[in-house]
Amino acid sequence: MQLPQYFLADLPDRAAVTPAVVTEACLSLKSNRRQFLRERNTDSMVAAIAAVAEDWLDPDNPFRRLALAEGPSALGFSRETLSAGLDAFFRTLTAENLRALLTQDLGNNQRLERLSPAEGETYPRQLAFAQGPPLVAHITAGRLPNPVLTSMVHGLLLRSAQFVKCATGTALLPRLFAHSLREVEAKLGACLEIAEWPGACHDLTDALIAQADCVTAMGSDETIAAIRRRVPWNTRFLGYGHRVSVGYVAVEAMSAFTLPKVVAACAQDVIAWDQLGCLSPHAIYVETGNRQTPHRFAELLAAELDRLEGICPRGRLSLDEAASIAARRGFYEIRAAHSGDTALWRSEGSTAWTVVYENDPRFHPSCLNRFVYVKAVAGVEQALEGLDSLRGQVSTVGLSASGLTEQRLAQRFAAWGVTRICPLGRMQEPPLTWRHDGRPSLADLVTWTDWEPGGRG
Amino acid sequence: MTNAAEFRSFAADLLAWMDAVGEGNNVADRFPTLAWRLFGLQSECVSPLRDLCRARGIARDALRDWRDIPVVPTRAFKEFSITSLSPDQQTAEFRSSQTTGRDFSRCSHDPESLALYERSALTWFRVAQGLRPGDRRRVLVLTPPKAEAPHSSLVHMFDLICRAHGDEGSAFLSAGDSTGAWVLAAEAAWAALREAAAGSTPVLLLGTAFSFVHLLEGRPTGQPPVRLPTGSFVLETGGYKGRSRELPKSDLHAALGKALGLAPQCVRTEYGMCELSSQAYDTFRGDPPAGPRVFRFPPWARAVVVSPETGREVADGESGLLRVYDLANVRSVLAIETEDLAVRCGAGFELLGRAARAEPRGCSLMPAAT
Repeated sequence: MQLPQYFLADLPDRAAVTPAVVTEACLSLKSNRRQFLRERNTDSMVAAIAAVAEDWLDPDNPFRRLALAEGPSALGFSRETLSAGLDAFFRTLTAENLRALLTQDLGNNQRLERLSPAEGETYPRQLAFAQGPPLVAHITAGRLPNPVLTSMVHGLLLRSAQFVKCATGTALLPRLFAHSLREVEAKLGACLEIAEWPGACHDLTDALIAQADCVTAMGSDETIAAIRRRVPWNTRFLGYGHRVSVGYVAVEAMSAFTLPKVVAACAQDVIAWDQLGCLSPHAIYVETGNRQTPHRFAELLAAELDRLEGICPRGRLSLDEAASIAARRGFYEIRAAHSGDTALWRSEGSTAWTVVYENDPRFHPSCLNRFVYVKAVAGVEQALEGLDSLRGQVSTVGLSASGLTEQRLAQRFAAWGVTRICPLGRMQEPPLTWRHDGRPSLADLVTWTDWEPGGRG
Repeated sequence: MTNAAEFRSFAADLLAWMDAVGEGNNVADRFPTLAWRLFGLQSECVSPLRDLCRARGIARDALRDWRDIPVVPTRAFKEFSITSLSPDQQTAEFRSSQTTGRDFSRCSHDPESLALYERSALTWFRVAQGLRPGDRRRVLVLTPPKAEAPHSSLVHMFDLICRAHGDEGSAFLSAGDSTGAWVLAAEAAWAALREAAAGSTPVLLLGTAFSFVHLLEGRPTGQPPVRLPTGSFVLETGGYKGRSRELPKSDLHAALGKALGLAPQCVRTEYGMCELSSQAYDTFRGDPPAGPRVFRFPPWARAVVVSPETGREVADGESGLLRVYDLANVRSVLAIETEDLAVRCGAGFELLGRAARAEPRGCSLMPAAT
């Protein structure tokens, strides 16, 4: 299937993108929005998004087929990893979930159409009306599509025109998603632009920022800070910087009966998107005290990762990425030979997966690509001490515990500053209502009008 | 024979080989034999290596090829004492340049292993750079003198070169400040270069990449260009280490050649590290030189470029992780895995640079800046 040249990222000649072209594209987007989006109601937007998402789950969908055919070489994920990741993402994009997000963030899903009370209020003291920014510019980073696609869905719900600026080599999936929207409704496609240019092309980025009413940016903390400096103070800016995630397994989940299930769930979190997302675990903290030790957990996790490599192989790595895994393995092998407090399991003849067991709670960032630490701890306080240097930067804790313990641990992690706690095995599958980095998603984008009616005084 | 005596006898055999190479004699390749002998000793006497062999179940006799000798990653030198010397035998310690906190490698020597280090360094420097014992040069060094940088193997080597080949005007032109940083006396350096340019003794200008950036930045304005005497050359070593502006090496070399009136083949580079006792120098193809710089170690050290995926040596022209097997590492371990990426070029290698040390960052693995 050959994609029509509809978006800037479709053009074979990247040099065709100049500041004037970017400005022109932004002006068209705004004009198309006025014509096609402003008067759309929420229900029709929800229905359109949900329909496109459902199409993406169909193995015969040509856009999905193209994603799976070109994704492995363009993005470095295996076909199986891509397929599983896309399924997990599009499964959550249902009409029901979209409405739940609107209600959670805006209090009522009519509030994008008219002044309305919060849901359930019969005699409101205040009514409110929310409007999305006319043009949102998304400056994205990384090969993982979920954050970009989620941002695009948010913009659609708010009826904003959107310009998605991708990092070099990462536009494939946003492009295909945009084409799939356009095929369902050409007018939706006309309010979207996808382009790709290097971050060093400041003239292009500045042209984009100059037209945008809101800028979202993802990337390293340094990248976010650099983009932020280019955004005028009165343009809304939302930056999503560096975050890490970990797993936590309570001692009661370590019984001989539950352990295989917990290990299988944990391995799913490690292999999803080859562990490259902010929501992927760098380390799994495992409580001691059961006959099944954290060391045993690590050993079983290694076996499970080995099994999964046959089913859902890791993508190909650059020399640099493979070298950083090789260097770490070499180091941990020496350490393991020296002391029983460290152990190492690794794939034979490749860097496909690596498990390092350490009887030391201090967090050390993984080099990812299915390289995971298993750390023995006596309890949650010891894990939090080990994570102390990352306070405020932990996105997700994948938790395996039950009943009251689960509640107690979740409360402890929440109070410490973790922004999302979910069951192990679902770390890379946040619900649509997930508050990215602890911030509301739609509510951070809109501008409110509040009305305190005086009629009944 | 005791272990100490065996090490001594090994060192004597290696020295004889080095001397033969230094004298230009055509001698048989002794590398495999000596590598086995040294590995046998080290796998008994260097405890982290002994533990590694035991954990892997390696019996020395079962290994077929010296390339199968287990490598120790440079990172391990930061945590473990990789030496067969007891603490009271250690008389010198070289450290890697990352001196912040405790995050540096250490390599210990006793007088015998230090003498071997020196012979290895000086012999190959002379062979690679075409100097004969007794040749005198104006050796200008852009690092502090040895007394101010006692743990730098690089400064130790420059000191050695200066003592062996320097004339009376030779000098070290940096000082160590209170934080241990090296501060170049740029004005004095340019004065020394101008003075040397007025004479006929060829100059050897030795320094790190960042010291050369400092030199170029500190060039006095309004002075006529410096043209060093025929036979002069620059030897640049090491990285920028965040201590200066980082310009591409080819730009740095071109700027140095221009500033000092030197042809491209007179701006040369060295590859070395404190974990090694031998150094590699780049060699040149054509005049003016074309293509990448290819580094070569002396015959008693071998570069092997391996695939990080499989750990096996890559084919000629392919890239991978650089391992060095250095027989002059008598008292530590002979097989080292560096964190540098390289292309295999026959028996030599082209350096691609350090594998990314920065931790990949979740969703921002590929920064928006790319």
